[in-house]
Amino acid sequence: MEDPWMFYFDPNRCIGCHACSIACKQRHDRDPESDDWRTVTHLSRGEYPEFEELPVSMSCMHCHDAPCETVCPPDAITKREEDGIVTVDRDRCIGCHYCAWACPFGAPTYDDTGLMSKCNMCLGQGPGSGHDQPPKEKPEDGGLQPACESSCVGDAIKAGPRSEVLDHASEKAAVRFENDAYGGRVVVEPVGDDAELSAAIREDETDQSAAWLNG
Amino acid sequence: MLGELLPLMTDFARWLPADYWDLSIPVYLFFAAVAGGAYITGASACYIRARRESGPCCLESEIARWGFMTAVASAAIAGLAVLSHLAVISRAVLFPIYLTNFSSWITIGTWILVLLAVFSVICLLLQLFGEQAAEESGASLWPRVIFAKLGLLELADRLVDAVRPPMAVFAALHVVGSILALATIYTGFELAIVETVPLWNMSVVLPMAFLTSGIAAGVGVTLAITMLFEREIGPVFGGYAVVVSIFSALSLVFIAYGWQEIATSDAPAAAASHAELTSGALYVGVWLVALGFLLSVVAGLAIGIAALTDRLSDRAERLGGPALIGSFGLLFVSALILRVLLLLAAEQNPVVVAL
Repeated sequence: MEDPWMFYFDPNRCIGCHACSIACKQRHDRDPESDDWRTVTHLSRGEYPEFEELPVSMSCMHCHDAPCETVCPPDAITKREEDGIVTVDRDRCIGCHYCAWACPFGAPTYDDTGLMSKCNMCLGQGPGSGHDQPPKEKPEDGGLQPACESSCVGDAIKAGPRSEVLDHASEKAAVRFENDAYGGRVVVEPVGDDAELSAAIREDETDQSAAWLNG
Repeated sequence: MLGELLPLMTDFARWLPADYWDLSIPVYLFFAAVAGGAYITGASACYIRARRESGPCCLESEIARWGFMTAVASAAIAGLAVLSHLAVISRAVLFPIYLTNFSSWITIGTWILVLLAVFSVICLLLQLFGEQAAEESGASLWPRVIFAKLGLLELADRLVDAVRPPMAVFAALHVVGSILALATIYTGFELAIVETVPLWNMSVVLPMAFLTSGIAAGVGVTLAITMLFEREIGPVFGGYAVVVSIFSALSLVFIAYGWQEIATSDAPAAAASHAELTSGALYVGVWLVALGFLLSVVAGLAIGIAALTDRLSDRAERLGGPALIGSFGLLFVSALILRVLLLLAAEQNPVVVAL
């Protein structure tokens, strides 16, 4: 697998609006009452006025080593050779939940049928729809952009082939990824305590605001 | 600001769901291992009987039959427990077709459990029916009464005698069956491969704790059932009591080592698990586990060695039976609670956005 698809997340840009998880639900007809395929968790600490919070958007990360695939007894989970996306064949799933135990990100979910479903990077629409789909194509080649990515107001989420994702990431994030941060399963920007990085983000945001203002 | 926030988040940010298991899982993990321990008891009793060449109605036959019966019942309970947890039972029942991933411990375990159940049933039938069993007596022969009432006893005896394998095949059957019984260590590997749960992710300690406690519980419960009907504590009982004691002691060693690992771990989920196990309702369970294993070590060693060396006084023999039944009964419960605790106190390490 030369250039598998993967996710990128920048917590500095996430505003915790849940647009990603709602867009995911809409595209895949998921339960409107709760986050499942994509979750936004608000990590928090302290009490007012010392209260601090950080939103984190998560889904299946389509891990390069896919622990869920390794443990799945009926071979219902596949790490696809063609694009690296991890899909589930619900016609083989026995609903044992072992994939949920093995997943480092808590990505597998179970509906009323008891069968597993999870993010398929919008290969298809709905549970199990990613299975047996043709290789994922980039939006410019006619492929469907993942709903979470297209709806993210802060450009905090990006999905794409690894080389593109790493090109998009900051050098610090790319180095951390190469150093096996998160097991090399997702590219995450360091949280902005770095003065240079924060300044760069602010500058970028100012530029964008200026561009918008300039119309 | 956020940079200051994140290092402290690991103190409490357990935001990955850890609710994918229910009581059926520890029941399955427990009874699969108990089936292994009970099978080993039955097979070893057959071996001892063959070596001694004693006549019919001997104690070893009773232990063997109760052992295989316990193994069959435990494997059945384990199977039903795991099936009750699944969403599509029909696919699991068709496991030779559906469970094709042999890198999964569930697939490996299914084959081990099913084969162990088959071996246990074969061994039980060979012990229950046939010419030799017809000459024996004992409480473990109760299925013969049912078969007799159904008018099927003679047929069953004839059939079993017709297919009874020669001694060498019988021995091979027990060797393979015992290997399968030891392979119930897989129940520990099923949990140990979960890398995000520090309470489980101990690749040697947890499987060994599951194996030794399962064997101790399996041998112990077989012995306790046999002793309900055969109160005389002879050297055979004494030997088995010492075996239970040794495996209980080994379990305690592995549990204590795992406890130490969790208590000294820096992982936030390990700290959370340790906190849950040292406070609240789970704390009672921890003491019950420790008490159960410790009592069976003491009772098994004291009474077992005395019986083995023929130093058991009449009074000690009268008290020894109930003491062993009680302590091995508590051991059985403790070994189940051990697995329940491991599930209830399990916490996944959060995937924290690091600096």
